[in-house]
Amino acid sequence: MILTVRELTDRRCSFVVEGTSPDVVNAIRRTLISEVPKMAIDEVEFHMGPIRDEQGNEYDSSSALFDEIIAHRMALVPIPTVLKDFTFRDQCECEGSGCPHCTIIYVMNKKGPCTVFSGDLQPLGDVTLRVKEELIPIVKLKEKQALLVYATAILGTGKDHAKWQPVTVCGYKYFPKLYLSSMNHKDPENRYGIWDAEDKKFIVENLDHVDLCHKCVQTLEANNAGPEPKFDVAGRDDKFIFSFETDGSVKAKDALEYALTLLAGKYDEFRDQISGLDKKKS
Amino acid sequence: MIIPVRCFTCGKVIGQLYDEFNLRVQGGEDAKKVLDELGLERYCCRRMFLTHVDLIDQIMPYS
Repeated sequence: MILTVRELTDRRCSFVVEGTSPDVVNAIRRTLISEVPKMAIDEVEFHMGPIRDEQGNEYDSSSALFDEIIAHRMALVPIPTVLKDFTFRDQCECEGSGCPHCTIIYVMNKKGPCTVFSGDLQPLGDVTLRVKEELIPIVKLKEKQALLVYATAILGTGKDHAKWQPVTVCGYKYFPKLYLSSMNHKDPENRYGIWDAEDKKFIVENLDHVDLCHKCVQTLEANNAGPEPKFDVAGRDDKFIFSFETDGSVKAKDALEYALTLLAGKYDEFRDQISGLDKKKS
Repeated sequence: MIIPVRCFTCGKVIGQLYDEFNLRVQGGEDAKKVLDELGLERYCCRRMFLTHVDLIDQIMPYS
């Protein structure tokens, strides 16, 4: 397996992988999307009734949006997650009652007139858990309106809700190959490239940008400008361009590493069970 | 109503970009250029801004 990294930042990752098969790459894709966990707000408790400030002014705890919509918007805000620091609540040593290993509690206390932003979510305790994307508007408040909420974030996976899915756009495409129908396929120099009608030769340039739309083939055929014998474009099923983005809560590299560890763990479990079968048989 | 937190289709977080987009487009800049500079490359994220009608200010009095 040959791996070439095309791009790697905190939020984006793209690489070309050669010498594998679609099922392996697809397993990685599926694991990245549905099984890499992240923290997200799951329970929101709204203060009901009047809210008073230090000057004795009274505010009404209401706003233009329904509480459910505010809670949903808060849940979609990415919360910075270091995967090794958190465990799922049902697997935590606190047995589900909520502790710093499985739960983050945020407080939001705003009085109108103002716009409530994601940056107003104040974590109780560790300040490194502050939301990084601070300017996402949650709701707007007018005079005499106020919002006091306690929000609980827990770890979850994309299987349960999209708010727990750190990897947003994730996919792979077959690496393109361009070839003449009667060309010797063992000759790597001539196998891949783009046909230049003017100079009557293949030019290999940005082959990974080829979309496999076949428009070049159709255009050449329509104008009778293509090479003889005819050439065609196809995807290779042993080389892939894999790319994904994260929402900023988990670093792209961490997400990929976690997904691969998870996948390896599943195969280990499978292998253990197969060895169990062997014993039963004998 | 109010700008969605994420793109409906791909899930990219876009809410924080709307204020800047709105200000710059109202200031006379070309929407295409602003969207490009904000890093919205897919058409799913771009339509979130282009088709959004910000009604929250009109709705606010009726809580």
